[in-house]
Amino acid sequence: MTNPTPPVAIEIRDLTKDFPLTLRGIKLRAVDNLTLSVPEGQVFGLMGPNGSGKSTTIKIILGLLDPTVGECKVFGVPSGRVDSRLNVGYLPEAPYFYRYLSGTELVRFYGRICGVPRKRLDDRVKEVIDWVGLSGAAHRRVGTYSKGMLQRIGLAQALVHDPRLIILDEPTAGVDPVGSAEISELILKLKTQGKTVLITSHLLAQIEDVCDRVAILDKGKLILEGNMNDLVGQRGRQALIVDPLTPDQLAELRVWLKERGHALDSVEQPRARLDQLFLSRVSRAPKGENK
Amino acid sequence: MSTATVGVPFSISRLLIVAGNTFLEAVRQKLFNFLLLLAIGLVASAQFFQEFNFGSSELKFISDFGFGAMVFFGSTLTIAATAQLFFSEIENRTALTILAKPIWRTEFIFGKFVGVFAVVGVFCALTTLLLVGLLYHRENAIMALHPDAFEHGRVIHYGDLLVMGVLQWLKFGVLAAITLFIASFSNTNLYTVVMSFFMLVICHLQYLAHDAYAQVASLPLRLLVRVLSYIFPNFQLFNLTDQIGIGAGLDSGLVLRVAGYAAIYIAVFGGLAVYSFRSREI
Repeated sequence: MTNPTPPVAIEIRDLTKDFPLTLRGIKLRAVDNLTLSVPEGQVFGLMGPNGSGKSTTIKIILGLLDPTVGECKVFGVPSGRVDSRLNVGYLPEAPYFYRYLSGTELVRFYGRICGVPRKRLDDRVKEVIDWVGLSGAAHRRVGTYSKGMLQRIGLAQALVHDPRLIILDEPTAGVDPVGSAEISELILKLKTQGKTVLITSHLLAQIEDVCDRVAILDKGKLILEGNMNDLVGQRGRQALIVDPLTPDQLAELRVWLKERGHALDSVEQPRARLDQLFLSRVSRAPKGENK
Repeated sequence: MSTATVGVPFSISRLLIVAGNTFLEAVRQKLFNFLLLLAIGLVASAQFFQEFNFGSSELKFISDFGFGAMVFFGSTLTIAATAQLFFSEIENRTALTILAKPIWRTEFIFGKFVGVFAVVGVFCALTTLLLVGLLYHRENAIMALHPDAFEHGRVIHYGDLLVMGVLQWLKFGVLAAITLFIASFSNTNLYTVVMSFFMLVICHLQYLAHDAYAQVASLPLRLLVRVLSYIFPNFQLFNLTDQIGIGAGLDSGLVLRVAGYAAIYIAVFGGLAVYSFRSREI
């Protein structure tokens, strides 16, 4: 009996995107023969240096750009069609929203665009604003928001129509470690709700923390793809963390291990991650406060 | 809301949501308020012409002056607002967020147009009503001074003034559609504004070239001019100030033809803007 194929949220096949640079036909290849699948219900990280084709790929998924060659489907619908975006929420990199609207008005505007029924709209707007922790600032104009708050109101507008797929393009760009950690928490909450999340970020630690699966692009080409544990976990190796041992105890341990066919490769002091240290020391502002 | 994918039909409702947001953005910009105040100030200043005190001709002068101010500031507002409201979406990347939603680009473009058209409509309504009030006030004053000149009653056709205001609004609608078309393929706000003013001048003056070449030029040139006269709308058709006020009044058939003329050009340039914008890479 074979395992059924897991449902796929995004399916990209042989995708190439060229941008014309000059009238003489010189082109820039932003995405080069990319084939990729994003399984439903997973957090998928798309990584790569600047200019590697991440944002172009996302724009093609959203139907904002047409592929030069190849195809891209979202929940089985070609991405160039308007109905492919019915179940997609998108937070662009460094979002800039209508400054003259309040947070509530902004999310309400996008909710109406997405066709959220009027009866449900007010409740839904309140719900997502609460969810991203901006209820205290919901009536303030977006123009007064900090970067972290902009990212969170951006997340609220992306979620207002309860999409199955959420695309986050550099959601923590320019955000301080506290705001970044909160966004990571929100992403993990989305995962528990069964949402599919496609995220790009230069914060590799964040990608490692939240993603089930990653793909790395370089110069438009896919150079690596796989499950996070398979890629970064060292198979056949174990780390033991113990109380400090004296040199004699350490020597005894080496002998004990050698007798059983093992070797002690390295002894080092475990280090806390700097972001965890920072978060443990820095107080977090109450929800909705300016950060 | 997490339903199976179905087709998304064109929606007037979504179009109006974009239009409403565009309108709100425009009226909260200083440019709109500045131009509106300037136009109102200029129209209101026409009351100082009472010093001329040259009877019914004075009323005609005030009317022409008022509509002249409306045309000048209305054209500036239309071009500046259309270009600004379009490029603010592109440059601030709010277009990315909207177009990543299930919305047709046609709805987006026509929503932008309707929003600007509404803004210009408010501008035309306010300046026209102000002008009507001013003329009414001045006509009363002149009637009291020279009752013999008004023995057949009032000389101003106030209904025609309102119709004239509507025609100017329609003309600005054509100008907004032209500006939107230029913006749909242009890369910068400045290029759009310059090209749109260039088009405004051509549309105002094209009748001169048409009249001149129709008399003297060779057949191919005459045909070329004729084709160009179809491509560029003739804005002089909207200028019916000679027929309002003290004249015999507006011919309703002519008004309807001019309104239809405007509607056709709005549809054509709006359609071209949509066609161009659909293939634009955001």
